[in-house]
Amino acid sequence: MPGASLSRWTLTYFACALLCLVGAEALMVMGFGFPGATIEAPETLILVHLVAIGWLSLLMCGALFQFVPVLVARPLLGDELPPVALAFILTGLVILLSGFAGMTGLVAVPAEAMPLGGLLLLLGFGTAILSLGRTLWAARPLTMPARFVVVGLAALAGTALFGESFALILSGLVGGEAALSLLLNGVPLHALLGLGGWLTFTAMGVSYRLLAMFMLAPETERFSTSVVLATGTLTLMLIAAATPFALAAESGLAGMLLAAAVTGLCALGVYGSDMLALYRQRKRRNIELNAVAAIGAFAALLAACLLLVFLLFSGSLPEHVGALTYLFAFGWLGGLGLAKLYKIVAFLTWLECFAPVLGKRQTPRVQDLVDERHAAPWFGVYYLAVGLGTLTLLVELPLVFRIVAGVQLFATLAIIRHLYRARELLNVPPDLRRGFARPHPFWPQPIARKLP
Amino acid sequence: MSEDAEEEDDALVAQIREALRAVIDPELGQNVVDLGLIYAIEVTDGCVASIVMTTTTRGCPATSFLKQAVQDVAWAVPGIEFVDVDLTYEPPWSPSFIAPEIAGLLGAR
Repeated sequence: MPGASLSRWTLTYFACALLCLVGAEALMVMGFGFPGATIEAPETLILVHLVAIGWLSLLMCGALFQFVPVLVARPLLGDELPPVALAFILTGLVILLSGFAGMTGLVAVPAEAMPLGGLLLLLGFGTAILSLGRTLWAARPLTMPARFVVVGLAALAGTALFGESFALILSGLVGGEAALSLLLNGVPLHALLGLGGWLTFTAMGVSYRLLAMFMLAPETERFSTSVVLATGTLTLMLIAAATPFALAAESGLAGMLLAAAVTGLCALGVYGSDMLALYRQRKRRNIELNAVAAIGAFAALLAACLLLVFLLFSGSLPEHVGALTYLFAFGWLGGLGLAKLYKIVAFLTWLECFAPVLGKRQTPRVQDLVDERHAAPWFGVYYLAVGLGTLTLLVELPLVFRIVAGVQLFATLAIIRHLYRARELLNVPPDLRRGFARPHPFWPQPIARKLP
Repeated sequence: MSEDAEEEDDALVAQIREALRAVIDPELGQNVVDLGLIYAIEVTDGCVASIVMTTTTRGCPATSFLKQAVQDVAWAVPGIEFVDVDLTYEPPWSPSFIAPEIAGLLGAR
């Protein structure tokens, strides 16, 4: 059936994600949360969860609803679930952030709001996992990129369970020595499973297929990719296995995390060499902006790995974990997200507007929907701002960080403007656009082949 | 089958091949014939067309549209009354299938 493989809700997810990104960056410009507040402060928790859940997780979920069917060459099962998941996640996020705001004393929100928000987030992500998991299960045996997604979804479940546990403890609904110990020691496990497992591991798996597709690189399964899958999975298992140590406040926790850092860095190292091989083996000499801008994200990932090693050896990780997280979240994950959005938005828009008349009249190419020449510099500004932002955090210049965050926000808004222009067909030559209705910015219509 | 009928079928194959140049792959921006996505065209009985095609990547969301467009365009060729389009990934498409004259346009190597 034509159009069966187009995810109708993906663009809605992307719009919500971008709104959260702009909101988070605006908060940073205003000096809200870290570095103005401590890393454990409720204000920082608001900022972190707005980025991790609002921006990055909604972006990833939206992308997976579209992309998992491509990975397994089968339609999404339970395609009525994405809007349900979105409603749960958005409501859960708002309630969770309100709960954090209640902790600051700025607003009067009962402490029970946090576990309620966490529960809704569990339901939302659970719904997404159900739909994606069923689709993946039905497509066994899975290709290598799809296996990364399975591990990533397991890490998402773990992250959400950790989060709800923290919310229950923080609200006072669950107490006791073990609970307090988990709250004090378990936060790195929650963050590592979320940023490292769910977001990074899934992005890595998807990048193998996406970059090969867009650059016409060989889609052969390399032995090195199975090494990345194995060492990465081992890393996440080590992190999950550290939970009893966090509960019992035993000294073994640091050792487990160090072992996870070693295997994790090995996985990322081999992944980096795989990506380098993909770029080198590409058949398409002139690569598109999405693949060029992704190089900035890979550079940020490399920089984050080097920074982690330096901080571990210098023993200064606790003081600079904020700078490292900022570089990882905005440089690697956020940079890759914006770069791939630049392609996916244009591609989905092409499918919605022009696929129904393919072969019946002249249609533009996907590339005709974008204006790479004018968009490219903004990706440069974005990465430059993230790089400078990391430096200002490392040398502790919070005021300069706010100015740099302003530049980052400005570059983000410029990239969003380019996404909007692609979506509204504003870059398509008028003669090719004539007769086509401009689509809704984030509410795609069902598409069907127009009859002759 | 007479030689005349065979020649007519061959002529229809050529017409279908030419007509299919109206269908572009949205990603690469070139027509499906020059990209090497059409593996085989056969016309039998003077009116029945069988086309074997592929897409640049398995599971591509545009697949069903490309297949439908190929079917519609072939069916619009005068004389063709029935079109069967078969999608295959054996062999999987490779950039080496691109016609040399457009390989340069794509920056393919």
